[in-house]
Amino acid sequence: MHISEGVLSGPLLLGGALLSAGGIALGLRDTKTPQLPKVAILSSGFFVASLIHIPIGPTSTHLILNGLMGLLLGLKAFPAIFVALLFQALLFQFGGLTTIGVNTFNMATPAVLSYYLFRNLLKKENKTLVFFGGALGGGLSVLLGTLLTSFVLFLTGESFRALAITFFLMYFPVALIEALIIGFIVSYLKKVKPEILE
Amino acid sequence: MKGLLLAFLLGLLPALSEAHKVNLFAVREGDTVKGECYFADGSPCKKAKVEIYNEKDEKVGESLTDERGLFYFKTEETGKLKLVALAGPSHMAQYEVEAFQEAERDQIPPHEISNKAIEEKLQRLENEIRDLRKKMDRLTFRDILGGIGYIFGLWGIINLLLRRKNAS
Repeated sequence: MHISEGVLSGPLLLGGALLSAGGIALGLRDTKTPQLPKVAILSSGFFVASLIHIPIGPTSTHLILNGLMGLLLGLKAFPAIFVALLFQALLFQFGGLTTIGVNTFNMATPAVLSYYLFRNLLKKENKTLVFFGGALGGGLSVLLGTLLTSFVLFLTGESFRALAITFFLMYFPVALIEALIIGFIVSYLKKVKPEILE
Repeated sequence: MKGLLLAFLLGLLPALSEAHKVNLFAVREGDTVKGECYFADGSPCKKAKVEIYNEKDEKVGESLTDERGLFYFKTEETGKLKLVALAGPSHMAQYEVEAFQEAERDQIPPHEISNKAIEEKLQRLENEIRDLRKKMDRLTFRDILGGIGYIFGLWGIINLLLRRKNAS
C-alpha cells in the first residue's frame, strides 16, 4: 500500500510528513537499546512483506504486516515502518520520498492503535484469546491502514474517488489473510518466547 | 523469534519476485504512439488508463492498455508528449515521448525492398531494447537482500547513537 510520487497535493504531503515525524520521535524515545535487534528484525520483515504479492484485482496487492509491527513494537512501529519504507522507496521506487510521510502515517497509526487495543489480550494465558488478539490486531491494522490511504486518495480529487473505493474493497481479503497469519505468529511466540509479547 | 521470522521469510521467497512498481515506455512513429506498461516483475498492466498531456500540461487524450499491457494512439500534437499511466489508485508511472521530427514525414522510401529489411532489423533491435529495459526494471533477489542489509545497518547506527546518549 504505497502512494507513489506525484499523486498527492502539497498540503497533504506536508501534513503526513509532520505527523509521521512526531510519531517517529515518540517511537525513538520509547526505544531502549536492548530492544533494538527486535525492532531491526521487524523492520526488515516489514520491508520484505510488502514484496509478497497477492493476486487480487487489477493491480497488485501485497502483504502489509503493519499489525504485527504494532502488536510487537507499540510506538516503535513508527520508526521501524519509516526505515522500511525509506529503503523501499530508495531501492525499488515503491512509494516515493515525498510521500514517505503520508505512507508511514497511514501504516503506523493503525499499528500503534492495535497495540493499545489488544495488548492486554496478548498477555492472557488462554491460547484462544491470544490468537484472537493477534488476528483482530492484524486484520484491523490492515483495514484502518487501507481506510486512511483511501481517505487520502479521496481528498486528492475527483479522478481518484472511484479508485479509492475499489482500493478499499481490494484489501479486504488481504486483511483476512493477515489476520490469520498474525494470529498464528503471536500464538507461536506465546509458546516459545512469551516475554516478547509483554 | 529469529528462527521463526527466518523460516517465515524463507518460506515466502518463491513469491518474492512479484512486486508492483509500474513502468511505462513508449515510442513515436509519425502520428502514432505505441507503448507498453508493465509491473516491476515484467507482467503486463492490463486495462490500465494512460493519460496523454501536451507540452503545456493540458490533457489531450486518453488510451487504454490491452491484455498484454500494450497501447497505441494517434495524435495531432507535434510537441513533446507526457504520458501518465494509472494502474490502480496508488500506482502511476510517467514517460515523455520525443517531439515529432519534421524530417520523418519527408522520408519517402527510396528503395522499397531495402527499407523492409531495415525495418525488420529495427524491429528486432526494438524488441531487444524492450527486453533489456524490463530486465533493468525487474527486482532481483540481490536488491532484496541488500535492502535487508541496509536496514540492519541503519538500526545499528541508531543503536550507537542511542547508546552514546544514554551514556552521557
